[in-house]
Amino acid sequence: MLTVLIVDDEFGVAEVLQSILEDEGYRVVTAINGKQGLARLAEVTPDLVMLDYMMPIMDGTKTLAAIRNDGAYANLPVIMMSSLDEATVRDSTTQYTTFLRKPFRAAAVIALVSKLISERPAR
Amino acid sequence: MSNDSNEHSLGRIATGVPGLDDVLKGGLWRGAVYILRGTPGAGKTILANQMCFHHARQGGRSLFVTLLAENHARMLQHLEQMSFYDAQVIPKQIYYISAFRVLEENGLKGMMDLLRREMRAHEATLLILDGLIAVEETSTSDREFRKFIHELQAHASTADCCTLLLTNGRRGEYHPEHTMVDGLITLEDIPYGKRRQSELEVRKFRGSASLRGRHPFRITDDGLVIFPRPESRFMRTVSAAPEKKLSTGVSQLDAMLDGGILEGTSTLVLGASGTGKTSLGAAFLSRSSKAEPGLHFGFYESPERLISNAAGIGVDLKTPAAAKLLEFRWQPPFERILDSVGNDLIDAVRRRKVKRLFIDGWGALASIAESPERLPLFVAAVFNELRALGVTTLCAAETDNLMGPTITVPANGISAINENMILLRFAEYEARLRRLISITKIRGASFDPSLREFTISSRGIELENNFASAEQILSGFGRKTPNKPTRKKSAKPTKARRGRG
Repeated sequence: MLTVLIVDDEFGVAEVLQSILEDEGYRVVTAINGKQGLARLAEVTPDLVMLDYMMPIMDGTKTLAAIRNDGAYANLPVIMMSSLDEATVRDSTTQYTTFLRKPFRAAAVIALVSKLISERPAR
Repeated sequence: MSNDSNEHSLGRIATGVPGLDDVLKGGLWRGAVYILRGTPGAGKTILANQMCFHHARQGGRSLFVTLLAENHARMLQHLEQMSFYDAQVIPKQIYYISAFRVLEENGLKGMMDLLRREMRAHEATLLILDGLIAVEETSTSDREFRKFIHELQAHASTADCCTLLLTNGRRGEYHPEHTMVDGLITLEDIPYGKRRQSELEVRKFRGSASLRGRHPFRITDDGLVIFPRPESRFMRTVSAAPEKKLSTGVSQLDAMLDGGILEGTSTLVLGASGTGKTSLGAAFLSRSSKAEPGLHFGFYESPERLISNAAGIGVDLKTPAAAKLLEFRWQPPFERILDSVGNDLIDAVRRRKVKRLFIDGWGALASIAESPERLPLFVAAVFNELRALGVTTLCAAETDNLMGPTITVPANGISAINENMILLRFAEYEARLRRLISITKIRGASFDPSLREFTISSRGIELENNFASAEQILSGFGRKTPNKPTRKKSAKPTKARRGRG
């Protein structure tokens, strides 16, 4: 079963994404900050990560840098999510695969996750 | 040698919310904790964000923490429509996080740890916690909730971080945490007949006085705009007795006033519709000059129409207006806030150092007021400030009865507010409707109390002779005095009398 890791501090966002993706047959694991997200990453080795930009403890930029520093996850698809526009996010990181602006529609999320997982390099 | 480590926390943080810093007499205190309470939709989140963006413009950093509140994406979408929003300051100077799941999973202690760490990590000097009710609901007792507030106060103080806790306070009036925090600000939506008015009140504010009472506000595209109550804002005392006199713009009336109206006084021009109140105001403003800038503050007629109507009676308002010696502020009296009108008037006066002011008129102010009882107090406060600013004011007030023996003043206490009163009336005499003018009160100066007929024509306002030959003019239906000539052509004004000082 394909696994998606969702890292987002905001109540409601991770819950909604989880239910949308589980309905599509994905296994979903969640974390509420970057530090917790890195711990989950090591545990579940996901096929895709959805990462929030602004979070407590460890933000999206630092979390993504840590993911990319690990050679095993250099090509892991990561969707960076934010309520801010992409230009703002790009000021601090460009290491993500694609950007998703909040709020989003379910159909767009499903299409994006499906596309990135199908295009990911073989492990 | 002084070793005062609290010195850094004595400063204020300006909220940047128009009117609120006036109400708070300078802003919130650094390192202090405040509760902002209001019903959903009252404007708490907008006000808090407005503060954060203002704080960012001043070089400060804010941490905005939400619990069970509007999600960040929606909130930012709404904020983008506001003029204060600046995407450039997020996330470096304003950082948004959600703490609800931490609260759910780790309780109050986990929540406190998170706040403490994030305040430090982002070097926040302003912390917003949106959704205090969620903390309250997670607490197992009032004591645990109070301990949370107490600990947060300690962290806010040591971090020199001003903290604003947003809540809807649905538990009713008693909130034990209110006794602990440094201040309590409420936002309420109050019904007045079919109209509703948003009002802000500072219920508690440690360390400084604040403007008392409920201050109306509006949520605009610029965020919240507070209109401090003039009754609490303008409390200066005026001690200097005026000496200089200003022309009314009507030379015969100036003669009756022994040279004009005393500078810095207010004059009520009382009369029925059509008696000439606006014409007298126009004549007064036509004398606007560089030394005496004028302001027409009206609710009924547009500036173009006023200028045109004045030109029709030989009063030139166009020239002083073109030379910027006279300003018109026209605001139809619908859905207005009395406090906004009062502040707008004083601001317009201060901006141009206005010395001649005509307000047209009392009736519009009465229709805007939330209750009839408030208007005399409001006008007294505004007129007092105008007096302190050295403004000579004429205010038109309409009486109900067109003619007749009685005069109904539009409000109780109206006479005490104004130093002077000029009465304009209609009267029937010798089969003709005539306009009459009389000075009924001048405080601190002599005046001619005689009753004079006046005309309004293309030559302007002209006063004619006394009604020495007629009786019962003030009843509205005059009759000739037996065995006396009908009218004296060049009667002199009666001996002047002095009003009470």
